[in-house]
Amino acid sequence: MIETIATAESNRELAPGYRMLTINLIEDVRVNPGQFAMLKPRGSLEPLLRRALAIYRVEGPQRLSFLYQVLGRGTTALAQLREKDEVEALLPLGNSWSIETSGGGGAIVVAGGIGSASLLMLCEELKRLRVDTKLLFGAATERAAAGCGLEDFRALDLPSIVTTDDGSLGDKELVTAPLERELREHGHKGSTIYACGPWPMMRRVAEIAAQFKTRCLVSLEAPMGCGFGVCVGCVVAVNTGGPLDYGSYKRVCTDGSIFPSEAIRWEVNAMTH
Amino acid sequence: MSKVSNHDPRLAVEIAGIHFNNPVLGASGTFGYGLEFADLIDLNRLGGFATKGLSAKPLAGNAPPRIVETHGGMLNAIGLQNIGARAFIEEKLPRLRGYDTRIIANVFGYSDEDYIEALTILNDGEGIAAYELNISCPNVKEGGIVIGNSPDAAARLTEKAKRASSRPLIVKLSPNVTDITKVARAIVGAGADCLSLINTIVGMSVDVNTRRPRLSYGTGGLSGPAIRPIAVRMVYEVARTVDVPLIGIGGIASTSDALEFIIAGATAIQIGTANYYDPTITMKVIDGLSEYCENQSLENINSLIGSIKAE
Repeated sequence: MIETIATAESNRELAPGYRMLTINLIEDVRVNPGQFAMLKPRGSLEPLLRRALAIYRVEGPQRLSFLYQVLGRGTTALAQLREKDEVEALLPLGNSWSIETSGGGGAIVVAGGIGSASLLMLCEELKRLRVDTKLLFGAATERAAAGCGLEDFRALDLPSIVTTDDGSLGDKELVTAPLERELREHGHKGSTIYACGPWPMMRRVAEIAAQFKTRCLVSLEAPMGCGFGVCVGCVVAVNTGGPLDYGSYKRVCTDGSIFPSEAIRWEVNAMTH
Repeated sequence: MSKVSNHDPRLAVEIAGIHFNNPVLGASGTFGYGLEFADLIDLNRLGGFATKGLSAKPLAGNAPPRIVETHGGMLNAIGLQNIGARAFIEEKLPRLRGYDTRIIANVFGYSDEDYIEALTILNDGEGIAAYELNISCPNVKEGGIVIGNSPDAAARLTEKAKRASSRPLIVKLSPNVTDITKVARAIVGAGADCLSLINTIVGMSVDVNTRRPRLSYGTGGLSGPAIRPIAVRMVYEVARTVDVPLIGIGGIASTSDALEFIIAGATAIQIGTANYYDPTITMKVIDGLSEYCENQSLENINSLIGSIKAE
């Protein structure tokens, strides 16, 4: 984890409302798939807090890129960054995707909307490790799919299914539908599901994983104050099997952001959008 | 973890017989148990910090969402999630003792007895410099709000806590009162060695689409730069009312912010919310205070305390 001032290399719009920010660091950093950063334009007074963005790709030992959707005040401020602007950054943060290959099973990667940002490096790693991988990529529209990095995922040439809410690209259905079909029709014994997307999507993925007794990891999002464990603001409710006590809430920033899906109490929604 | 001592002697202050290398402290609830900052700043350079609020037993805290950002600040309703006084002593203190910084254990409870129980446990902890009593946390229904808002209840608790405590006692004031000087006077009369102020201001934010409060708890404590002028005013008022040292808290995010509190009457300051968006802010303020002493030709920062030119 380093606290640093980075420099924006580029910050381009991929599709309306979706952008890719690339930053340069002054020292080498080692990032594992699924980790994130806390970012804010340097010196900006509003909004106050940094924003947690998944590290999309390691472009070099001192260069990282972030794929993000412009949703609120924080991401709007980040969208204003121009080349050479300075960025306050704390990174890399959180745990990372743990790839299970011992069972001989493959991987099913479920990307929902901008949740894809946490999954590209995982897909690259799965390909490198030659894990039999199926990609299920869901977005609202064809343009949103482009904004969520579909081209970068396609470049990996993994077997994939694309869905959109409006049918403008791929099948008109939720991305959880092909997941259910895959497990029902092909079994995928010993496989692991890796999912990141909106809360209702991940909740449904967790239900399907439980139904088909398939290992499932999810990367969660939560509003964060600090990103390094002190504010305890980003918690998620976890199953402890007992009454509400001190282990009932885990911090998304330092205990996660990746959790086994069965650990999460999905009825307690941690996200605000 | 080596102790280094390149402290600026001009910044040293003393509160209730405790020596602080400088007046810059981390505020309770924003500084974890201190160790979270070990990789981010040199803890040996920090004047001290107040731990996350400790209760006699561990606490789960509130359901999410617990925080929401507002203009110039944030609301929180964490619900005082903490590992408990015993775990703090056993798991955190041994590692904290390696650092040259003053550790203030922040303590809360839901009844006088809870506070005494927590203090009694903490009395066993070697390396704690002082206690800070949270009588004002606005987040828990049965919690401090009642005690902190009543001069009588606050004085009664202070008296009991002072008897139970083997260390200097700081009482942290709630700003959610009509006249903070009344509570301050009552608490000092009951034996408090120092007052810290202010805690967060009760606030609320509503999601206009769902028409629900943005925090699961409903209301929360407002912190950050937005509350600073209120905090400075309260430190100023309390400084003119009581004769114990004060620790100023409330939206400090720069050297100049810290100086405002000191000039208004605070011996030391605590930095809270700013730690979230700039984990190195405490170090910057320490350096900034040295620079100010240099520029103002001050031999000692103590000459600045309460030096406000008013009336």
